[in-house]
Amino acid sequence: MSRPDWIVLVLTLLGIIAYGLYKGRTSRDLDGYFLANRMVPWYMVLLGIMGTQASAVTFLSAPGQAYTQGMGFVQYYFGLPLAMVVLCITFVPAFHRLKIYTAYEFLEQRFDLKTRTLTSFLFLLQRGLSTGISISAPSIILSSLLGWDIVWTNIFMGGLLIIYTMTGGAKAVAYTQQLQLIIIFGGMFIAGYMVIHRLPEGVGISEALHIGGKAGKLNIITTGISSKGFDWNDRYNLFSGIIGGFFLALSYFGTDQSQVGRYLTARSVTESRLGLLMNGLVKVPMQFLILLLGVLVFTFYQFNKEPVFFNKSQIDLLASSKYKDSLVVLEKAYEATESARIVSQSSPQQQQLKAIEEKKAGYKATVKRWLKDIGADNNDTNYIFLRFVVDYLPKGLVGLLIAVIFLAAWGSIAATLNSLASCTIVDFHKRYARPTSKEKEYRLSRMYTLFWGIFCVAVAQLAYNLGNSLIEAVNVLGSLFYGVILGIFLVAFYRKRVGATAVFISAIIVEAGVIFLNILSKKGIVPLSFLWFNVVGAIGVILLSEVIQICSPKLNIRDKDKP
Amino acid sequence: MTEETQEDEAPLFKRWSVWYTLVIGFLILLILVFYFITKKFS
Repeated sequence: MSRPDWIVLVLTLLGIIAYGLYKGRTSRDLDGYFLANRMVPWYMVLLGIMGTQASAVTFLSAPGQAYTQGMGFVQYYFGLPLAMVVLCITFVPAFHRLKIYTAYEFLEQRFDLKTRTLTSFLFLLQRGLSTGISISAPSIILSSLLGWDIVWTNIFMGGLLIIYTMTGGAKAVAYTQQLQLIIIFGGMFIAGYMVIHRLPEGVGISEALHIGGKAGKLNIITTGISSKGFDWNDRYNLFSGIIGGFFLALSYFGTDQSQVGRYLTARSVTESRLGLLMNGLVKVPMQFLILLLGVLVFTFYQFNKEPVFFNKSQIDLLASSKYKDSLVVLEKAYEATESARIVSQSSPQQQQLKAIEEKKAGYKATVKRWLKDIGADNNDTNYIFLRFVVDYLPKGLVGLLIAVIFLAAWGSIAATLNSLASCTIVDFHKRYARPTSKEKEYRLSRMYTLFWGIFCVAVAQLAYNLGNSLIEAVNVLGSLFYGVILGIFLVAFYRKRVGATAVFISAIIVEAGVIFLNILSKKGIVPLSFLWFNVVGAIGVILLSEVIQICSPKLNIRDKDKP
Repeated sequence: MTEETQEDEAPLFKRWSVWYTLVIGFLILLILVFYFITKKFS
């Protein structure tokens, strides 16, 4: 990176920390630290929700995904607006009325302590580990691309934000997320403009869409239905997006404290609802635009030489392996093919262009095969957008886009640290330890925030050392638990006659069933995409708890008279 | 549970149900636009 890039990057990051420290002054009690004294307006709730959901990988991976597989990924978000409506009708008024700090507190009021403790524990386990991964993933990408030391990158990615998150709690998180998202959207907009600006003369957005469409990148709506019937293993289609995405979004926004903690800070039910509904309005178009950026970058590389593999550090590994001589020969041949392809773009001889593109695809496939053979990472999807930024954007702007990656990570991680600390103190410390003063609770909350920050950075380092195995395990962990936790909440809200013991037993049984289903899916015995696990888990808990309650009517139905 | 108090009144519209319809209607519109883009550019 050049000096102007470093200046922009450092100033942006320091500015955010200073802003967080300045705005984070609040009352020294749990209400101030975790709920910002319930004074946050709807637009900050909206930005908080968006900033928590959109991690660094969202901005790195989504354009790359559109580049390689097309824009079908946007369907994953189709269930989100529907989930926002259900949340506003059911979850939000109940959470506000009970004046709770964590979503799991509600479960003790409706069921019992063991149900609350189980769900809160699952949240801490899954969210603590996955936050480590969300630090590690962008750190690995940045350190690979820019040659940074991974330990320091992890510390900067996950450590610096602890300063303002620990000091200012939810208020600092809300204010910094607001500023972070403004910078992120500004940076992404400029990046989009620069891609269009760098397209050849006579190629605008319309032509870029035609080029992308011809290459199958604009396959936004797919049904997953073929002559063989519905493909349950297809990750992103209209039905999995609406149904599976609905259950996933309902679970994430309704039962995950990192999100619930954002709209609990709102001034009123109205402000919470407005923040969530606005998220339902803007999320899908926003994701569409991020994916569109990937299609524009794809069009750009139709007129410019595309690297044989976007992750340069893996090519360097290949260059020092047994394939080093073969790589030199392949790179020369690839270079010549790329030159011929660019010249052929304007030629009417489409047959010739097709032959060149097939040749190019062959070279790229060979490199991926070699990388796999030496045990290197042969997936470069997450590197496509950032490689374009580093190679083609002007000085200063590269620093801004790197800052965007950091800020996207910080917004998401800061909210999560705040929620991890709130669950630790409210669901465990306050519930199981001796009562203490408000001032001590406040100080303990800050200590728990620091603890979780250090824990997550340590997991990030562990994830790097263990490689893809831990990342995959953590990703699977989330999709395995979400459905069951949602099922518990849905029973709490909608099945008044079902009691604590019935829902607890059914949650344990269904969780075991979902884990078994995942094993069958991995082995290819049951073809089922992960989005459907949420549906199975949630509906499984509702039905089984109902059956257990009917079969054992003597089981306690706690608080049955509550509205 | 969904009873609206003075504090919970919907802004701009009389009832929250109008907001919910707006969000769902906008989603349907987006899906139709995306379907049109898929057909036009494929």
